Amino acid sequence: MAAWVKGGAVETQAAIEAAVGLLAASHTPVFAGLCAELAAVRAAYRLADTIGASLDPAAGADLYAELGPLTATGGMATTAAETLGRADLVLVVGARPWTGDFVAEVAGSSPSRGRTAGAERAVLSLGGPQNGATRHVAYGLGNHDLAVALGYLRAFVKGHLAGEEALSDLAKRLSAAQYGVVIYDAGEIGELGVEMLQGLIKDLNETTRFFGLGRADPFQGRAVVQLAAWTTGQPPRVGFGRHQPEHDPWRFDSARQIAAGEADAALWLASLPAPRPDWLSSLPSIAIVGEGSPEATPGTAEIVFSVGVPGESLGGALWHERRGVVSYVEPKDDPGRSSAGLSAADVLAGIRDRLQDRLASKKAASC
Amino acid sequence: MLIRIQGGRVVDPTDGRDGVGDVWIEDGCVVAASEREPDRTIDASGCVVMAGGVEVHSHIAGGNVVMSRLLLPDLYVSEAAPDGHPFAQAGGSGAWIGANYARMGYTTAIEPALPPSNALATHLELADIPLLDRGGLAVMGNDDHLLQLLRDGEGESAVRDLVTHTLAHSRALGVKCINAGGASAFKDGVLRLSLDDEIPVYGLSTRTIMTALLDAVDAIKVPHPLHVHCNNLGLPGADDSFVATLEAAEGRRIHFAHAQFYAYGVADPENPNTGGFRSAAERINAAMDAHPNATYDVGQVVFGQTVTISLDILRQFGGRKGAKPKKWAISAGDAEGGGVVPFLYRPRGPVSSLQWAIGLELMLLSSNPERTILTTDHPNGGVFTEYPRIIHLLMDAEEREREIATLPSVVRERSGLATIEREYSLSEIAQLTRSGPAKLLGLTDRGHLRPGAKADVAVYRDSKDRTAMFANAKLVLKDGRTIVEDGEIVAWGFGRTLELDVEAETGIEARAETYLQDRFGAGLDTFAVPDAAFPERDVFEDVACRA
Repeated sequence: MAAWVKGGAVETQAAIEAAVGLLAASHTPVFAGLCAELAAVRAAYRLADTIGASLDPAAGADLYAELGPLTATGGMATTAAETLGRADLVLVVGARPWTGDFVAEVAGSSPSRGRTAGAERAVLSLGGPQNGATRHVAYGLGNHDLAVALGYLRAFVKGHLAGEEALSDLAKRLSAAQYGVVIYDAGEIGELGVEMLQGLIKDLNETTRFFGLGRADPFQGRAVVQLAAWTTGQPPRVGFGRHQPEHDPWRFDSARQIAAGEADAALWLASLPAPRPDWLSSLPSIAIVGEGSPEATPGTAEIVFSVGVPGESLGGALWHERRGVVSYVEPKDDPGRSSAGLSAADVLAGIRDRLQDRLASKKAASC
Repeated sequence: MLIRIQGGRVVDPTDGRDGVGDVWIEDGCVVAASEREPDRTIDASGCVVMAGGVEVHSHIAGGNVVMSRLLLPDLYVSEAAPDGHPFAQAGGSGAWIGANYARMGYTTAIEPALPPSNALATHLELADIPLLDRGGLAVMGNDDHLLQLLRDGEGESAVRDLVTHTLAHSRALGVKCINAGGASAFKDGVLRLSLDDEIPVYGLSTRTIMTALLDAVDAIKVPHPLHVHCNNLGLPGADDSFVATLEAAEGRRIHFAHAQFYAYGVADPENPNTGGFRSAAERINAAMDAHPNATYDVGQVVFGQTVTISLDILRQFGGRKGAKPKKWAISAGDAEGGGVVPFLYRPRGPVSSLQWAIGLELMLLSSNPERTILTTDHPNGGVFTEYPRIIHLLMDAEEREREIATLPSVVRERSGLATIEREYSLSEIAQLTRSGPAKLLGLTDRGHLRPGAKADVAVYRDSKDRTAMFANAKLVLKDGRTIVEDGEIVAWGFGRTLELDVEAETGIEARAETYLQDRFGAGLDTFAVPDAAFPERDVFEDVACRA
């Protein structure tokens, strides 16, 4: 645990006092990042509620590509384990899902549960990288982008288009599947692409079973969404400026707020690695970052806290990509070591406690 | 501190109490009347004093509840709250749930669908519900691991060990099965399933899965009987499924979830699928009278917009085209998954009016309110904050008649509600909302006001306007501490999450680890619910198995 204020090393409590002063002097603070264990995100929500800040996870853009269509139309989804266990056809949309090992694992295995058990799994791609490392049948996009190609594909499935095009062939294969799964990355195909894809999946379910498997963002966004939903009844982004949660993905986009000059202070929470925003040094700011990270340096922000890293020096509830759920990770190091350092949740709770004291004193003085 | 609640009408049907008297409290428990001078005296004259309310079936946490908030972020209204507990005014949030239950005098609430595959997030969410004790029922009946054991004929002890392991590992209070085998069948193309239909691939049926779970729950001595969500929810003829399931229990203890959604007899036997339904409340209650091993909660419908949440993905998929607004989400999860379908119980609409009438009819025809638990299956039949209005309708035949007069004629034609004159007494309301659910859950320390009970107490101003009376308690004590005064929360704190005190055999732990690694590429540790995951301390409290 280390802390710096304006470049100088200080005791934790002094940094907390400085953070309290910075936030108390602000009118429209923004909290961004939220790439951290759930206990820290929970503490950030409580602090935001106390000070009237808005919250915007680092995963914001990718999350909104998924959440926007979900709120508009819903969707049909499955899990990685069900995909591996049951899918007799997997369609990989776009390039991003090919990063990592999952597509190769899907291509290298066969269904083992349900009516498809023992069948050969067909792996198809639409707009993928078309390399030969993984066995699959590749369909190109033609002159279209992914979202438009999905629209054409849906029209072929629905019977609104007919012909000998490649997408017509793909549509027939999808319709013949018994348990089909589309793997996609919402951030890559965008809101319109996700909405069209989910429409395609719903259409396919008129005659068979078909589901989506969206890749999770790498910044704890899906865990944040869950905590946000049970904490405020709404997804992020959210603002507490009027002492009630107001969900508005455009208004509380931290980059937009700062570019527009709407925000006058920022708190960056990233006990896990996340790309540091370029606006961080452009306004009074607090950074709560993982110890040992490149950001754990005096110049990252006006006030910097270096805190324990979940899964390294601390335990914490984190998103488990393979399981698709929140799970607990134990610290790697000697558990005794974590007592020497503070967690991000401790720092945030400390700031909130002092702010509440200050607000209570102010209220008493005004009576 | 010794507290005396003085001069109220004390209603405790478990002790035969319904008269003016005192309730004494010390160290968080109800105690016998004391000769000592109390440290605090609460004047309850003109008030009704009951044990804190106990909720057995309300969807207050879990992945599907989260999904409902993402699908309908504007379902509930948020209000400005510069002071007080964080987020208590945030509509639909965990804090809002705790605050609204507490205002009504409820002090315990159980989430009936705790998916073992997503137990940690569900428990983190439950732990963020303030003011109440809470708990969850582990859902089993569609998971491949269980179905494999049954298909392979591994015997009762293997099933018992897996159920014990699931209870212990997911830190649940009991076990629930939801359309057993239905989610598995749905994934294999089935769209309708009855008790003895074959579950594809496994060669099992709902009956075989459910009876195996009934046996296991009995063998483990889980205080709460198997909590069963039957096949064919909400369909005309669902009463057949209910009665057949009741008979299939063969005398074993069984609890039926949201019976109202099964009290739908076929209205036109010539056209069973298109002729609509009529009330089967009489038939359901007659069957209950013949099977004292069974209990049910009601799942009362209330008018207005809501969202239906269920792990019965077969049923939710079937109901998707009735979504209003027209959007819905189905997740084919690692066992059940979930389905979230928004729904409008159209005010004065013929179908919703008949559903509304059937729920009330079930309760009013019940020969034993202690086996008839008040729920709305929140939010499936409507929001739980409608309980005071439902209680009002049960206690006041004139009020009921006034409401029926505004409804379409189908209510009189297809249900017997309008002919029922019964009015519930306060004692019967206490059975419906306190002693019945507490006994059902095996929570001997609550639901009553006898010495030794937890000092979870609700004090209501007695009024003929039962809606107002039960909506805003005059005073609520949780563990002897005042949390509500005049319908407002005055002290915030957290209750405990109730978990069954069971330990899994080491053999099943090793077997489960192997199975999970093979299936998920991740082991038991990723399913764990360790104390260290919770920001607040002392989250859990053990509940003993039956002797």
